[in-house]
Amino acid sequence: MTATATPETEKAPLFGDDEKRVVIDPLWDNNPIATQMLGICSALAVTTRLDVSIVMGISVICVMAMANVVISLLRNMIPSKIRIIVQLVVVSGAVIIVDQVLRAYAFDLAKQLGVFISLIITNCIVMGRLEAFAMGNGPWRSLLDGIANGLGYAWIICVVGAVREIFGSGKLLGVQVIPDAMYEAGYVNNGLMVLAPGAFLLLGVIVWVQRAIMGKVEE
Amino acid sequence: MNTTSNSYVMTFAVGMCVTVSTVLALLANGLRETQQAAAEFDRQKNVMMAAGLIQAGDARTREELEKVFEEKVTEVTVDVESGAVVADAEDAGAKRKEDPRRYRVVGTARTEKGEVTVLPVSGKGLWSTIYGYLALESDNDHVRGITFYKHGETPGLGGEVENPQWTAQWVGKSIRRDNGIGVIVKKGKVDEGVPKEKAHYVDGLAGATITSNGVTSFVERDLKAFEAYLSKN
Repeated sequence: MTATATPETEKAPLFGDDEKRVVIDPLWDNNPIATQMLGICSALAVTTRLDVSIVMGISVICVMAMANVVISLLRNMIPSKIRIIVQLVVVSGAVIIVDQVLRAYAFDLAKQLGVFISLIITNCIVMGRLEAFAMGNGPWRSLLDGIANGLGYAWIICVVGAVREIFGSGKLLGVQVIPDAMYEAGYVNNGLMVLAPGAFLLLGVIVWVQRAIMGKVEE
Repeated sequence: MNTTSNSYVMTFAVGMCVTVSTVLALLANGLRETQQAAAEFDRQKNVMMAAGLIQAGDARTREELEKVFEEKVTEVTVDVESGAVVADAEDAGAKRKEDPRRYRVVGTARTEKGEVTVLPVSGKGLWSTIYGYLALESDNDHVRGITFYKHGETPGLGGEVENPQWTAQWVGKSIRRDNGIGVIVKKGKVDEGVPKEKAHYVDGLAGATITSNGVTSFVERDLKAFEAYLSKN
């Protein structure tokens, strides 16, 4: 895991080059899914439709932002002996907050996401960022880092979700995009796209494309 | 501050737990009513879906759907032992609380094909209690629709009980078998060539035999329980 941690300086600008890197890195160069291969399980499971992917992405962003800020504020007080457990408590708390809010205001989506919201707790991206970044950086930067890593996760699952919904059920956000004329001409929805292996293949293609553009070689 | 001493670690851990649980308790309390309202609306939607009044994923707003429910669906409390409707609404609530298996809420939906009875069905799957609604056509024999709206089964296996493609198979099945009542969730695929299977069986859920068997047995049990009520109507 690569931390983009740099020592804090007193008079650093609110949004200088360092902050910019903190935000941009996870979106592309150091993307949690495509580069670090974290959070794959939920990326496969919840991406059958775009709306579900979006809600999942937003939930992860919220959890990461909350957990990163809290841990960053407590970083000098947390006894190192129990720091992982403390991180887990904070993450679980944040996840329960998100889950409860979803259940109150987006019941249908909460039902579809079901156990996967609770499983954000075990998403390695969250713990990874807490351990690698929030434990060593101030709250403002940790907030940016949390949001950026969440976004890095969210955009990938949204791409996967959109492709799977279009080819798996001919719809996008529940609206039919493949015209009836195509179906009459013999077009059939790709059943593979609704199943987990379809997501696996897609994710592989995304990683391939992303690495081809970056020119990254696995060392 | 010495952050490595045992006493500090203990204090920190306890403080952490108390703080987090207080925050969560307050939040859960504050959201409870909204959550209950959302769950109740979900239940109403499932009653309407079983009765065929709406389709899954209906684009109408919550207010519109709640109005449809109010207009088209009447819910009464039934004493399943005698099959009689409990007339007094307040009394019914108290009785339901006292003996929920004897006093149960039954819906009647007015659809384009006449009055449809929507019966609550619930029982054990593998991990959890599954809750659903079974709607019967006005002949009290053929299934008009079934929905399962609350369960804790394994996603992808037993969790497929809520899959609309699976529940769609129930439509048109007859619950009156030669030797009993209910629809049987078969292990494996239904053989359309066998008349008995075609009329009363639905495909099993792959990888979820215990959930499938659970559904078969609680649907049978609940339909038996409602026999007295059904024969009166």
